[in-house]
Amino acid sequence: MRGSPNAVGGTTCAHVLSELKELYRYRELLWTFVVRELRIRYKNSVLGFFWSILNPLVTVLVMTVVFKYVLGVRVPNYSAYLLAAYLPFMFFQLALLDSAQSILSQLPLLKKIYFPREILPIGSVIANFLHFILAMGVFFVYLLFVWWLNPGENPFRATVVALPMLIVFQFCLTLGLALFISALNTFYEDVKYLVSVGLYLLFFLCPILYFVEQVYAAIHSPDMPQAWQGPLFTAYNLNPIAMLLIGYRKLMLDPQPITVTRTGDVIETHNLPLDWGMLGIAGAVSVLVLLFGYAYFNSVKWKFVERP
Amino acid sequence: MTKPAILVEGLVKEFDVTHTGYASLKGKLLWWKSKRRERLRAVAGISFSVQPGECVGVVGKNGAGKSTLLGLLARVYKPTSGRMELNGRVAPLLELGAGFHPDLTGIENVFFNGVILGLTRKQVAERLEQIIEFSEIGDYVDAPVRTYSSGMLLRLGFSVAVHVDASILLVDEALAVGDIEFQRKCLRRIAEFQQRGGAILFVSHDMEAVRRAASRVIWMRSGCVEKDGNTEEVLRAYEQSGEHPVGD
Repeated sequence: MRGSPNAVGGTTCAHVLSELKELYRYRELLWTFVVRELRIRYKNSVLGFFWSILNPLVTVLVMTVVFKYVLGVRVPNYSAYLLAAYLPFMFFQLALLDSAQSILSQLPLLKKIYFPREILPIGSVIANFLHFILAMGVFFVYLLFVWWLNPGENPFRATVVALPMLIVFQFCLTLGLALFISALNTFYEDVKYLVSVGLYLLFFLCPILYFVEQVYAAIHSPDMPQAWQGPLFTAYNLNPIAMLLIGYRKLMLDPQPITVTRTGDVIETHNLPLDWGMLGIAGAVSVLVLLFGYAYFNSVKWKFVERP
Repeated sequence: MTKPAILVEGLVKEFDVTHTGYASLKGKLLWWKSKRRERLRAVAGISFSVQPGECVGVVGKNGAGKSTLLGLLARVYKPTSGRMELNGRVAPLLELGAGFHPDLTGIENVFFNGVILGLTRKQVAERLEQIIEFSEIGDYVDAPVRTYSSGMLLRLGFSVAVHVDASILLVDEALAVGDIEFQRKCLRRIAEFQQRGGAILFVSHDMEAVRRAASRVIWMRSGCVEKDGNTEEVLRAYEQSGEHPVGD
């Protein structure tokens, strides 16, 4: 019998390798599961797949109107900057919320039959990832359309070629957290509430509605003690998802001069170049999160069915 | 002698039992207030083997460890200790279409169930015709499963399970539903399956069903094998013990 349950085996490395092999053996089930997730989501809706595009587009449209005309943000093509950070964040958010419930909702099935349990959260993440890739495709079409309307600068920057790297980092980060959260939520159902509150707060802690330059300006205001300024801004950039969102924007879109108005004074801040060092740290953290999430999931996955 | 289909030696499964019955962070945070954890021995060191072609019924009152045993064989649980060896593909018969998604059609669910039981999508596609025919679902295969009756769910689930070419079938109290005609068909199919060398282990409270199908019976009592042998002998002892109300 393959993967004998009694083989509490050998080195950790060999153990991980056998777990990965087992997952590979069940790749067909993983794919079937992803297809099933996608089918279920749009089963009873007329517009089907278009909802995954329509939803962010409408949200961004409303945000653009509010920020441009009500709050008076003067950034040309603000929607593009909004979408560049909003779409990756939506993937992060939806994947985590979906996967949090993935094990618990399939518990009756888990109690009947064996398959590698990690297929459930991984499937949730992949299903949302496919939506994200599709939405990014539509986003590029939108950028080309804007460029066609008023040709001038390039529709996007040449550094866009580095985008796959960011996407891989974000996939690792999301998957690692998804594995961790789905396992934890199976034992403690409070976790999914903590996650949704956390994600809500994170939305405002990340440069999505605003620009990182504004954070920089706020931190470097005269009111702030000088000694705090550097560490505080570094701390902001240490949040891996925030750093990745900064990366998405700066790799795809031209830098924008940001004006910050504070009590009558108009302060023009310069553009911050993309901090590759901090991005590297975010990437390393993402990979570590994946390793940790996978290790934790494997250490408790046999306990799911024994949940009291 | 041929290799046994199922070989179990000194198999033990213990569970943690909590008294609150639910898990929450609060419970974990307040663990020091009520650390009343106990270990329950659901399966307490049992040994037996099942030869290819055998159909073994497992009886015993509720809580005797029958379902846990089946779960161990289906690799749902990790044994606490002991050894088990399963030679061939194992197909647990999912009761009343567990694993069926109500919003998906019969065909979509057949694919999911087939793959989860170890087939590739291609293999499911090749057998789709046979699976649908055997299940007698007819045109309903294209309707969402939530519109199915419990009998239809059972038939479709059973049909997938017997078409995956497993050599070990695990059945947990599943054949109780469905009309007489279909039950007969199932029994025929099971007989064929046995003739081809398949082994069946089934748990049931229905003594008549056990009498009809089983060639051997294992009687379990508080996690141990109380008696293992000829169907009639074991069932008589079981019924006389008063554990099983006669005529149930």
